[in-house]
Amino acid sequence: MLSLRSLLPASLLTIMIAFSPHVRADEEKLGVVATFSIIGDFATIVGGDRINLKTLVGPDSDAHVYEPRPADAIALARADVVLVNGLSLEGFLDRLIEASETTAEITVLTEGADILMDPNGGHYHYINGRSVFHATPTDPHAWQSVANAKVFIGNIARAFCSADAEGCPKYEANAATYHDKLSALDMDIRNAIADLPEDRRVAVVAHNAFRYFERDYGVTFLAPQGVSTESEASAADVASLIREIRERRARAVFSENITDARLVEQIASEAGLALAGPLYTDALSPADGPAPGYLELMRHNLNTLTDALNAD
Amino acid sequence: MLRQLAYTTGIALILSGTALAQDKHDDHEDVTRFRIFVGDHADPKVTAFDLDDPAKRWTFATTGQNKLYSVNDGSAIVAVQFEDDAVHFIKSGISVHAHGDHSDIEITEPSALQEVLTGPRPFHVIDHGGNVAINFDRGGYVEIIDAHELSHGELKTRRLPQARAHHGYAAPIGNGWVTSVASDAPVEGDSLPTRIGLQAIHEDGTPAGEVATCTGIHGEAFSGAYLATGCEEGILTVTAGQDGPVMQMLEYPGNLPAGETTGTLLGSKSMQVFLGNYGASGMVVVDPVDEPHFRYIELPFRRVDFVLDPANARYGYALAEDGTLHQVDVLEAKVSNSAKVTQPYSKDGHWNDPRPRLAMAGDEIIMSDPLAGVVRRISKDTLKENATIKVEGIPYNIAVAGGSGLVHDDNAKESHDHSHNDAHGHKHAHSHADDQIYKGYFEDGQIEARSLSDWEGDWQSVYPYLQDGTLDKVMAHKAENGDKSAEEYKAYYEIGYRTEVERITIDGETVSFFSEGVPHKARYVSDGREILTYKKGNRGVRFIFKKVEGDEAAPQFIQFSDHKIAPAKADHYHLYWGDDRAALLEEVTNWPTYYPSSLSADEIVAEMLAH
Repeated sequence: MLSLRSLLPASLLTIMIAFSPHVRADEEKLGVVATFSIIGDFATIVGGDRINLKTLVGPDSDAHVYEPRPADAIALARADVVLVNGLSLEGFLDRLIEASETTAEITVLTEGADILMDPNGGHYHYINGRSVFHATPTDPHAWQSVANAKVFIGNIARAFCSADAEGCPKYEANAATYHDKLSALDMDIRNAIADLPEDRRVAVVAHNAFRYFERDYGVTFLAPQGVSTESEASAADVASLIREIRERRARAVFSENITDARLVEQIASEAGLALAGPLYTDALSPADGPAPGYLELMRHNLNTLTDALNAD
Repeated sequence: MLRQLAYTTGIALILSGTALAQDKHDDHEDVTRFRIFVGDHADPKVTAFDLDDPAKRWTFATTGQNKLYSVNDGSAIVAVQFEDDAVHFIKSGISVHAHGDHSDIEITEPSALQEVLTGPRPFHVIDHGGNVAINFDRGGYVEIIDAHELSHGELKTRRLPQARAHHGYAAPIGNGWVTSVASDAPVEGDSLPTRIGLQAIHEDGTPAGEVATCTGIHGEAFSGAYLATGCEEGILTVTAGQDGPVMQMLEYPGNLPAGETTGTLLGSKSMQVFLGNYGASGMVVVDPVDEPHFRYIELPFRRVDFVLDPANARYGYALAEDGTLHQVDVLEAKVSNSAKVTQPYSKDGHWNDPRPRLAMAGDEIIMSDPLAGVVRRISKDTLKENATIKVEGIPYNIAVAGGSGLVHDDNAKESHDHSHNDAHGHKHAHSHADDQIYKGYFEDGQIEARSLSDWEGDWQSVYPYLQDGTLDKVMAHKAENGDKSAEEYKAYYEIGYRTEVERITIDGETVSFFSEGVPHKARYVSDGREILTYKKGNRGVRFIFKKVEGDEAAPQFIQFSDHKIAPAKADHYHLYWGDDRAALLEEVTNWPTYYPSSLSADEIVAEMLAH
């Protein structure tokens, strides 16, 4: 009896291998940890069913303020490949890696991407009505450039290939297919922005994650610096943004999926502009939302932007 | 004309490519320094020493036996004397400030605050969110101390009243507070009432929510987004919600030994997880989010003390009464290493009998060994003793300040009077010698609007003094302490100080710029402020004023930078001016600098040398 029980899983495994070579048990798959949802999407696209993915920071959540959990460290400890954005986006990462004692390769996806320095040395996040300064000399939101997304995909394919040589042709084929989709997306964004009258290309957001989008596609984003919705002392800061909005003739204010909307509501009402959105910045939407993957996210943002900037 | 001047500074910017105005801390070395504070079991004193130079001692007299808390990232030590109704405060002299990609460490001598907080039976101390909250068990109130002011040696307190005096605590969460709540039942003699739960409360003591049941509430810690507190029923967790604190009871599961509770909790600083006691020899790892919420670890003997490693969330360390130190793997919920580190210390007897206490200092566990009269340094990796340090008397409670960071040379302190401005009678929030703000480390909440009157007066440029050699002495002085030669400093300041505006007068809203004796006058009003972050991670605030009327040649925008972030008279300032508000914010190498016109050249030199 005892021996039967221990034999059972082994025999099941044999059957699986014998009759369905394409279905791999979880423990046979490449263990991949992605730090946040957009990277998780990229990993799924390149890895397909050869990987067993754990995404740490899920949909609609902000990696910057994420509090890592024991389960995350355990996932890192078991991972073969860890995919991270880098550029100080994942502030929790170093301590999580230390605690996990992981031996997995840490793949920094922004390596080789065209990175913007941040003249302000960082940017602000608005969390529960308070502004939190995210100090980093470089702008971490590199995926808002489709050209950079291609670099991410290339880096992921390389990391998977070196950890799982057998699956490499599959990874490379997946990456190539997606590369074409990214090229089409890039073209669509360029065409849509080209169709926007030039005096309608200024938008307002609370958390400026769009500097790469601005660089690549020519829509200007204004964002407040260090404003707190609760601090009376910030009235002057809002006032100076309102002035800038008027001087630059910004057309619309946008909310964001990872930030509460109180600040942009205040700005929109003071500037007399419509509040549009949400834009998806640092996270995907849940599966049933409008931005469950990167391609959908970029297309949703593009439509939201052009609709609001074009509105009268 | 002045517009052209702005152009000139633009060229200077391109030529220089050197450091930023407030980013002159070119000399830095990586330093690790830990300072240990030891409270004696019998005598009213605290002894302090640095691990790398333990022979040098500092001693601080207090009123009674001290329980020590290292607060505000170790910048201050709180010495609570529950039997003697007193709390003493010591500036640790070591502060570590994290700045994204690096940390800075500042090291000075430790010093006791003269002010002592007295009150009936101070006990639990909570250090969170810029507040240090001390519960006065027989006073029925919590003294809330501003942690930032404390790290500067100032005791700024406010009082949160509780409904009934009890052995409890109050803790800040989100924008509000929670307090433990005592039962209404009458008590015998002078014993304290039993405790029944936790309640959201306003700072004035009025309730802000219902009492959540937490029978016998004891022990509390923060980790990640959570506050956790021990109860007879389980562990009550609290998070900040949109409409006040959200409380949730995690009941002890059936697989934990029955009849025991958690009464002491530690919160990890690097992962959202708690380590608590559970009965005399058990411990629990508490995950407030993911199941299982409780994982149990049994030690072979009763536990004397335990700590969590702030650097590596995986490990905690617990000393058992047989003298064995256990390394506890928080992720695996098991004892991962054990070693005998001292003689047995039986848990029989009074809870406050002299027994070892643990603290972490980098790669070491620091353990007081009262009966041996030493403090032991134990490697956290091997659990082997690295060294012992003799401490006179009966070393008991301990606290550690310190860490690793970059030390920046003081030559950067240029020529600033950051002494007390209070003598001038100005009202401002941070009137004390605020070195951190001066160096560009502050919270957004500390920034306040300033009016032009802060810069009122008659001001002279220091650029002519640089040109004519008057400031050579200052450059030579900088070279002695810095990494550049006097010539290099002079070249650096040549770009920094360069200007054709030799004098500025500010009278009410009117600012006059004098260039070759010719004034250009205009009226300016406040145009807000901007926070700049420099390469090094420190920050500065530009207070910006906009021209509303006046001479064409006067600039559209002027931006003051004087290392102050709240209303205060400037003793000198850097001024940026031009017609493009945003472009000016990018200017960081040319910072025309002005001192009061009433100062002679020698006085300016003396000012600069004095710092």
